[in-house]
Amino acid sequence: MPRRRGVSLLPTLHIDPPLLIGVCLLCAFGLFVLNSATGGDESVIQRQGIVMVVGLIVMCAVAQVNVHLFRRWAPPIYGAGVALLILVLFVGAEVNGAKSWIDLPGLPRFQPSEIMKFVVPALLAWYLASRPLPPKFKHLFWSAVMIVIPAGLIVLQNDTGTAIMVFMSGVFVILLAGIRWRVVFAGLFAGFLGSPVWYLFLAQAHQKNRILTFLDPYRDPTGAGYNIIQSQIAIGSGGIYGKGYGNGAQSHLDFIPESHTDFILAVLAEEFGLLGVLFLIGLYLFVLLRGFAIAYAARDLFGRLLAGSITLTFFLYVFINMAMVSGLVPVIGLPLPLISRGGTSIVTLFIGFGLLMSIQNHHRQKFF
Amino acid sequence: MKGKWQQKGHEAERRLFTRMKGKWQLKDHEAEKQLFTRRLAVAAVIVALLFCALIIKLLNLQVVQYEYFSARSDGNRLHSQFVPPARGLIFDSQGELLADNQPIFNLTIVKEQVEDLDSTLAYLTTLIRLSDDDIEQFQNRLSRNRVPFSSVTLRYLLSEEEKARVAVNSHQLAGVAIESQFVRSYPLGSLTAHSVGYVSEINREEMNALTDAEKENYGGTYHIGKSGVERTYEELLHGTVGYEIVEKNNRGQIMRRLDRADPVAGKNLTLYLNAKLQIAAEQALGDFRGAVVAIEPATGGILAMVSKPGFDPNLFVTGITNDDYSVLVNDVVNTPLFDRSTSPYPPGSTVKPFIGLAGLQSGTIDYEFTIQDPGYFRLPGVSYRWGDYTLRTAIGGGHGETDLRKAIYQSCDTFFYDLGHRLGVDSIHGFLSQFGFGDNFALDVGYARTGVLPSRDWKMESRGEPWYPGDTVNASIGQGYMWATPLQLATATAILANRGAVIQPRMLKAVDGVQFEPLNSNSKPDVFTDDADYWSYIHEAMTMVVHRPYSDVFRDYGTAYESIAMQDRAMPYIMAGKSGTAQVVGISQEILSSEDIVVSDLNKDHGLFVSFAPAMHPEIDPKIAVAVFVENGEHGSSVAGPIAKQVIDSYLLDILRLNFHAADLEVGEVSVSQLDD
Repeated sequence: MPRRRGVSLLPTLHIDPPLLIGVCLLCAFGLFVLNSATGGDESVIQRQGIVMVVGLIVMCAVAQVNVHLFRRWAPPIYGAGVALLILVLFVGAEVNGAKSWIDLPGLPRFQPSEIMKFVVPALLAWYLASRPLPPKFKHLFWSAVMIVIPAGLIVLQNDTGTAIMVFMSGVFVILLAGIRWRVVFAGLFAGFLGSPVWYLFLAQAHQKNRILTFLDPYRDPTGAGYNIIQSQIAIGSGGIYGKGYGNGAQSHLDFIPESHTDFILAVLAEEFGLLGVLFLIGLYLFVLLRGFAIAYAARDLFGRLLAGSITLTFFLYVFINMAMVSGLVPVIGLPLPLISRGGTSIVTLFIGFGLLMSIQNHHRQKFF
Repeated sequence: MKGKWQQKGHEAERRLFTRMKGKWQLKDHEAEKQLFTRRLAVAAVIVALLFCALIIKLLNLQVVQYEYFSARSDGNRLHSQFVPPARGLIFDSQGELLADNQPIFNLTIVKEQVEDLDSTLAYLTTLIRLSDDDIEQFQNRLSRNRVPFSSVTLRYLLSEEEKARVAVNSHQLAGVAIESQFVRSYPLGSLTAHSVGYVSEINREEMNALTDAEKENYGGTYHIGKSGVERTYEELLHGTVGYEIVEKNNRGQIMRRLDRADPVAGKNLTLYLNAKLQIAAEQALGDFRGAVVAIEPATGGILAMVSKPGFDPNLFVTGITNDDYSVLVNDVVNTPLFDRSTSPYPPGSTVKPFIGLAGLQSGTIDYEFTIQDPGYFRLPGVSYRWGDYTLRTAIGGGHGETDLRKAIYQSCDTFFYDLGHRLGVDSIHGFLSQFGFGDNFALDVGYARTGVLPSRDWKMESRGEPWYPGDTVNASIGQGYMWATPLQLATATAILANRGAVIQPRMLKAVDGVQFEPLNSNSKPDVFTDDADYWSYIHEAMTMVVHRPYSDVFRDYGTAYESIAMQDRAMPYIMAGKSGTAQVVGISQEILSSEDIVVSDLNKDHGLFVSFAPAMHPEIDPKIAVAVFVENGEHGSSVAGPIAKQVIDSYLLDILRLNFHAADLEVGEVSVSQLDD
């Protein structure tokens, strides 16, 4: 009975079938949209396909590793990660304004900051899981230090988007670990009070500009506001049913900037309409729910916290991109997971899925 | 079994942990799991809420504001653009092109697509020839009302090399494009500068003068007729604008054409103008400044209308440079922009045949009437003597016994002083006005000046003074208040040649090959005389001006005999003519203060000559009436006369190739010999 064998084979390989199906559907849909966004540029699609296959392989590989190995090795990996981040500041290669790449001869080019999206939550999960919950103030303080060091280093690399994600991946662990609500609200209130201070004294010109543009894109319709105006036009003109595959005038006539990458949702929304976007949200929800389920069912606190953080970070990606493209939040340069054209960022996502699978399928008991 | 084992595992962990810490209550796994689960639930709720917010935003964009964004999207890509109609061509009567449409390549800029206009302009300066003038004109065009995202011309007439250089660097030139355009070209250049006129860019006043419907029709048009036929028949020549809906990408490149309403080309116009004759007339003027107007007496069609010097009308089509323009404007002596053919000058003695005819028709004089000419005229009771200008250089006396015929061929001023005085200003004004003096008879040369045919009312109105008898004396030899344009003189001469059948000069002969007949073409009454022989008499007297040779009789030759008939003994036709010499009035201080001018040259009299031919032919009616004006030409008969002869020769012999049969010639010779007595 091949079917039965197939089903029973995946758990043995530590592969979670629902997550695999969700991720594969997203990849397929992503390639489909990208094909239209690039105007059928085969080389781009091919490369994206290869990246995805590599990602799947990496995911499977990560899934084979018992998650408690990560737990045990979290502090040294964290240390190594921070060291790499510091190293990057001196010898890093600069791409798109962010000096965040390590380009060693003979090795594939990679961004240490990407890995920190998992290393930071893993370290925090390791740290907090062995402390009484809800965490005490002392533990919170050290947790904050663990977050701020890598996040700060990434900010120094001039890669605010990734810094925010690394920061949030750590914050999610703390939130899930049961930090008291009054502390959460106090933090939110402090952020609320602090934001004007940040805006007035700390924010850089381009950051202020993004916020002003968000508030009123038409203050500079052909300059700073052009992207968001054109992407809103693309989304809005798609209507409920869309203009049809390959018929997105906004994208095919190059009115949407970054239509392969950050603004690919506009292409999707224009060609497939509201229904297409809802379908994509449905796929994401499926993956997210599976992530929540894995977090919920995880055997121990470390797994729960890490799974929860990975899932929420993934959600944050999805949400920030969609909200920015539709004009709900200021423009932050983050891709739409598995849909936007990408390389390292996609592989990083697969590492996350691999970790989720590892958490789902490795039982800590085997260690005892 | 499995579950129990798990539970045991938890117990083991808890025990292990608490033992390490030495405190029991610190690690409560069940409570922690519940705490985590609650937090996870809160997170799930927040995720759901945020997705809801996102979906609401999308609903707002894609459902509520769908119409708006759909229109914006169409507005982004769909551009309705005008398709300018091809301007009608202008041909001469023989089908020779006088105004053509030629493709040129222009450098255009869509301002909205240029990131930094100044740096783009600076960069372009390194690629193509771009003067400050070009940039200034470009800025002017930019400042005019225009459709957003429409292209504005920076440089006309790119050379092949410049085109290539721009094309190669196009990646650095967003918003810059090379567009082809059909523009006017005038093959005869300065020859038709005044008569056919020229087109040039529509200026703001002209745009504002258009009605809304016309503005729409000019949506894709950059040029408008500024002078001459181009201006008069702008409406016929322009055509009807077409439309095109195109899809453009964000760089303004046209990707598709979606809809199109073809423009209707302007009408092709055929003029009476004859290019060959126009060339001949221009050449006949030689180095002189002046004007030649030739009219076909049968139709009033203007065969040639030259004002010399002209200017190259092609310069104006694509925007004349300041340098070129100042050269034209600052040439105060040659005034090339000034149309002499339609501007008034004192006609001098060329009015004498008309005054003479007025004398006959009014019964003031008859064929037998003579005066004894002492060389001057004196009004009764006035001591002032009106001298005979034609005798200024001659020595002593007048013409002796002089009748009307002799007064014409000898151009005797005294006779006409006397006749004019007898006729009185009212009668002169009444009779001459029938020939178009003081009026613009032309059907489609609306810009022609009317000159002055003075009258008591006119003087009271314009000068606030009553008419004095002396004014009549001056007017009767075409001086004083009398002013006429070369066009008017040619018209009056054609009417004279027609024996009173009034014609109205016209440029336009046919529209798209169909004979053109304007509505008001017969609004003027013919000139009536009691005796049709008066016309013959005047014609005869005018042929004597040209053909009456020298004889033993003192002052009895035609004034133009020496310069015309004597030069061409084999002249196969008879030409009627009358010379005129007009005093120069009022040279402006500007000209006098100009350094490189010999002032005495500018003080020289203007030479005029009116004529028609063939005259007194038994079978062939006059085919051409010509008026020649030579600025500072000094003599009508010796300078302007031969020019008229050349023009008539060219028309009758080269263009019409009229065959004056031997028999006719004989008649001609007979009649000439008869005139000799």
